[in-house]
Amino acid sequence: MNAFKYGVSLYSYTDDLGTVMTLEDGFDHVASAGATGIEILGETSIPTYPEPTASWLDTWFALLDRYQLEPTNFAAWVDTRLTIGRNMSVQEGVAQIACDLRLAHRLGFKFMRPKFGVIDDELTPDPIWEPAIERNLDLAHQLGIVIMPEIHAPTPIRHPVTDAYIAFIERTGTKNFGLLIDTGIFQDRPLNKWGGGETEEIRKGALSFLNGIKVPVEHLVDVIKYVPFIQAKFHHIDEHLHDHHIPWERIVPMLKKLGYDGYLSSEYEGARDPWVAIEQVRRQHALIRKLEAEYDATHGEKAHA
Amino acid sequence: MLERSHIQSSGFQNVGPAGARTGFELRIRQPNYRSSRLSLIEGVDLVVDGISYPAEQNRIRVGGHEYSHAEMAEETEARLYVGTFFTVIVPKSGGLAPGVHHVASSIRFRHPYFPPQFQPVFVRSERHATIIVP
Repeated sequence: MNAFKYGVSLYSYTDDLGTVMTLEDGFDHVASAGATGIEILGETSIPTYPEPTASWLDTWFALLDRYQLEPTNFAAWVDTRLTIGRNMSVQEGVAQIACDLRLAHRLGFKFMRPKFGVIDDELTPDPIWEPAIERNLDLAHQLGIVIMPEIHAPTPIRHPVTDAYIAFIERTGTKNFGLLIDTGIFQDRPLNKWGGGETEEIRKGALSFLNGIKVPVEHLVDVIKYVPFIQAKFHHIDEHLHDHHIPWERIVPMLKKLGYDGYLSSEYEGARDPWVAIEQVRRQHALIRKLEAEYDATHGEKAHA
Repeated sequence: MLERSHIQSSGFQNVGPAGARTGFELRIRQPNYRSSRLSLIEGVDLVVDGISYPAEQNRIRVGGHEYSHAEMAEETEARLYVGTFFTVIVPKSGGLAPGVHHVASSIRFRHPYFPPQFQPVFVRSERHATIIVP
């Protein structure tokens, strides 16, 4: 039977990294949670992005070795609205993607998530996304990297944005482009604290996002064949291993049923008080492992070790 | 490492010659989860003891470089990294009086992937901070 791979994104430790946590501390917490994969944000984790120093590269590979973690996804941004008055050209978008692909490869990553600027409230990506990606498909193939835009709230699975990505995969026949599902799309109860950078204006004006867009887990059936990676977004899990916003009890059985065997890479995005994320990530791994074991037990398979 | 609050205690000081201060400066931790091209920061507004010091007049120092508001807006290569601070330099004849002040900051962050209505978002912080030397 398919078994999940367990990972953690260093995004989980936002605000701790740089104030109360070093990069090595982060590796230690990820490894101690029993994860095998580590996800980073390129321009966050690399102090001199986009050009890491030789000493930072030495540190990176030494930490991977010491903590026995594999690099999973390298998160990157294509900041299309470059200045207030000027948008990125297609050529600049191509160069940005190429830069991040090469850097991700150098660090050992197999996936790269570009986050493009958007042009409307539906989060339609800037139209340069398509040529910027297409002109990098050969490079991604050479480097063995899958480029993945994320399907992220408030954009659901059944939406023109997702349809356009799938049409791109079908048209090009590429194996180097897929969909990253962010489990925040399944959020079905309101957030009282959004750890992604809540402001007064967002609290007042982004209610659908904060309340959850409640995508039915059954919609995964439509797209799972295009999904090589999942960011396991969550915001609060209590001491009874009850998640207050994300319905893991429905997500996990659906992913198991659909044969998903890729990473679930934790993205804690709740209260940003110091060190809270460390325990929250551990609770999430305990919860998902429990649900996976229960599914395996009821379907006649030995639980995932 | 830096203080958790965006506004940092250290670095809050008057600038210019002693006896003829030209202003004051304040360190702010890069508060976003990712590093940022300087052009994505549309300005930093300060309020000290109820008096506003709007972004357009303030200068920003990042590393060893100092930028005017207009220069920041066009700086698409230099970055403000996570785990570092930048310094806001505010013109104010005579500087601030020694003692504890109430300081509030608002950073206008442009995240191109946010819905247009939230470009920019205003990332706010406030606390008490102390000027030691006149």
